[in-house]
Amino acid sequence: MTTDATQTITRIAEIIINELKLEDVTPETFEPDLDLVDEVGIDSMDLATIALVLRDEYGIRIDEDDYPKLTTVRIIAEYINAKREEKE
Amino acid sequence: MKTVSSLLDAHWYERYKKISRLNIRSSIYDVTDRCNLRCKGCFFFSSGEHERAAEEKDVNKWHSFVEKEMDRGVNLAILIGGEPTLCMDRIEAFYKRLPTFCATNGLIKVDRDRFPDMMVGLSLWGDAEDETILRGQDTFKVTSANYEGDPHAYYLYTITPKQLGKTEKIIQKIENVGLKVHMQLLSNDEDVNGFSWQEDELVAIREEMDGMLDAYPDTVISSKYYHRVITTGEMLGRKFGWSECPSVTILRDNRDPQPKRLTNFIRWASDLKTVHRCCTSETRDCSTCKDGAAHMSWVMVNKRAHIKTTEDLQNWIEVYEMFAKLYQFIPW
Repeated sequence: MTTDATQTITRIAEIIINELKLEDVTPETFEPDLDLVDEVGIDSMDLATIALVLRDEYGIRIDEDDYPKLTTVRIIAEYINAKREEKE
Repeated sequence: MKTVSSLLDAHWYERYKKISRLNIRSSIYDVTDRCNLRCKGCFFFSSGEHERAAEEKDVNKWHSFVEKEMDRGVNLAILIGGEPTLCMDRIEAFYKRLPTFCATNGLIKVDRDRFPDMMVGLSLWGDAEDETILRGQDTFKVTSANYEGDPHAYYLYTITPKQLGKTEKIIQKIENVGLKVHMQLLSNDEDVNGFSWQEDELVAIREEMDGMLDAYPDTVISSKYYHRVITTGEMLGRKFGWSECPSVTILRDNRDPQPKRLTNFIRWASDLKTVHRCCTSETRDCSTCKDGAAHMSWVMVNKRAHIKTTEDLQNWIEVYEMFAKLYQFIPW
């Protein structure tokens, strides 16, 4: 995994932790393959909140229809990177 | 960090996974501004909501309206006041496109050839005596004949303080006609004598509701946690009220900070243009509101707040399952 990809994963984990006020976890210890719905318990409103922050941070729009696919931090990172490549 | 699987055994985790991705997005629709009953304590008429908008009579406009609602992401249409079954064409505009729930007094039977699997909630306000006092007639006689054994119908038993000690008789009557029942509380705001809840009565009815769930688990669709929340108005140490209510119409929601709420929820008036503040009347004091749907939604939208202990999370699962059953997202 590239440094860029690792940084994106860590930053997304940080955003999720901050926005959802998750306790007892840091961006570094957040397991990137942890299922956000089945394990963290986030819902579509949480995802909408996170999507807004990610839009501002990375300049990409996350389509609401894509929410169900964004099940882990790693998948979100890959999604963001793909969207940014599309723009370039 | 507490994770779901760290709090649940395999059985409960499977139950959780069956509901965790349902992503239900409901809105509420007044189908008419009329009713064939005039019940004391019905907020729709007592608060003047029936006069706020003139119902849209062009059914084509209902069809295009529902299409727009789907574009807004709605995937569950909850049809309520005045009496939806007075206008079946309008109900059909929803039913043809969306999972649809129709709350009705049940006096007009929904044609099952036309609406074979639409969930129907039959309002019931007590035993024959209370029904007569509050609604002018004992509707159970008619509604039980209309819907006996119907797998897509259940009673919405709205309990008044006068029903204390009498609920079992009602539950048995419902079981005997092969239907399910969900219990909720009537919080009357019209000063009908004896129909406003006192603290000791709420304690007593909670115990009685718990007892009914234990005694009739195949008939009563409910959860003890829901009983606790609806009777105490408290959840995880928080009090229900305007600052917490999840079912405020999004277009009217200027609360800051925003609480956890139903995504894009709107309660539409029957002119398809006017919106109501919330799922009950604007005159209602939110701090004493007993609206069942609002309280169960309050629990449901606060999922992560329940991912603290095994008991909290199991309570959340039971309430979500109750909702999902009542609206046919999972089987009874």
